Amino acid sequence: MTPRIAALDSGTYYHHRTLYEPRYRGFFDGIIYTRDLGTIPLDDYDTLIVSCRTDPSVLIGHRDKFAAFLDSGRTLVVMGSTGPGEWLSDVEWHFTPTNFWWWKEGGSLGLHVTAPDHPLFDHITLADATWHHHGHLIIPDGAVSLIDVGDLGSILYDDTVSSKGRKIVTTLDPMYHHGSHFMPATTRFLDGFLPYLKGLAPAK
Amino acid sequence: MGICLFLNPIKGAGDDLPNVGNHAPDIAQIDHYDLADVDLAPYQALMLPAHLDQRFFGTLSAKIYAFLDDDKTLVFNGHVAWPMLAEFNEFVPLASQSLENLIIHRENDHPVFDGVLTDELTFRRGVAGFYSRGCNPPPDGATVLHSVGPDRLPCDWLYHRPEGGRILMHAGNDLWMYAGSSDSTGRIVPQLCQWASQTCQGEPS
Repeated sequence: MTPRIAALDSGTYYHHRTLYEPRYRGFFDGIIYTRDLGTIPLDDYDTLIVSCRTDPSVLIGHRDKFAAFLDSGRTLVVMGSTGPGEWLSDVEWHFTPTNFWWWKEGGSLGLHVTAPDHPLFDHITLADATWHHHGHLIIPDGAVSLIDVGDLGSILYDDTVSSKGRKIVTTLDPMYHHGSHFMPATTRFLDGFLPYLKGLAPAK
Repeated sequence: MGICLFLNPIKGAGDDLPNVGNHAPDIAQIDHYDLADVDLAPYQALMLPAHLDQRFFGTLSAKIYAFLDDDKTLVFNGHVAWPMLAEFNEFVPLASQSLENLIIHRENDHPVFDGVLTDELTFRRGVAGFYSRGCNPPPDGATVLHSVGPDRLPCDWLYHRPEGGRILMHAGNDLWMYAGSSDSTGRIVPQLCQWASQTCQGEPS
């Protein structure tokens, strides 16, 4: 059995390319237009992806729905620039000025893998998660950070402790850049991340 | 001179976008989903961000056509993915993103791009590909302003509708991402606002 995955679609061109075009279409058992979220039941899905750059003002009214989804033991994937602190408990995101040019300036983003044995790293490398990030996350007690930025906090963590379900939270925005035909690392990230999600155990 | 109404991007768009209001005086800005209810009559131009909920915008076509029929201006940025207006055709990406494919060519002069060097559209801090990576194919009768790559995909075009109004298409990030630039691309925002705020009544279709 593989988990049934739904993803939110904001109606943007980059969500269209990522969610509907053939490269990844087979990973999604449902695509939910974000403004329809109130009328679409989630019972049929094990995993819900809040696609990067989804408008948090559209999500705030669905706080209880997200909480209930987690409470039923399911997996919520929260991507970057979605303002999760506004619609989800136990997520603490901090703004970081974005340096788009670190690779031109001879510097580094300061990312490092903190859980090399995590199964996600059977699918991606650190380089596949390295383009830029728009913030960092404080790691909840008991959660596992996969990639940290310096000593500030995490840009990708796996939290199976703060709810009955699982939260995979990242500050990365791969759908935006893949969907814009920009930054090949973001495509490589999705090439690995989506098969990883499809390999998780379905909710019981 | 009329007022240009800038539609703000969806709020998930992030903090990496310049606020055009800091660089262009005498414009108006509204939140994304307020477009459904706003009265467009006071405005001369509607400026759409690349971070557009195209499914939402597509529900407003009657309102947008009424606006255009009144000889107003619509500026679109981004890639066309969903049905919106009959003049819009689905984005066609470059087949290859090698450097020669990312070079921007000027096809026709236009006041919005007066004095803007195409090299500075092709390269930003020495990196190519920010300006455009394909095209939203133009309708018959459109004037191509810029193209991209050796196949000259028409990434920027201007179309005067026979029914009235005009559409400026840019298949890339918001033209106002160049707001405040120190090179020649810094000319785009003031020239765009100047051009868009003028009536197109009487211009050749």
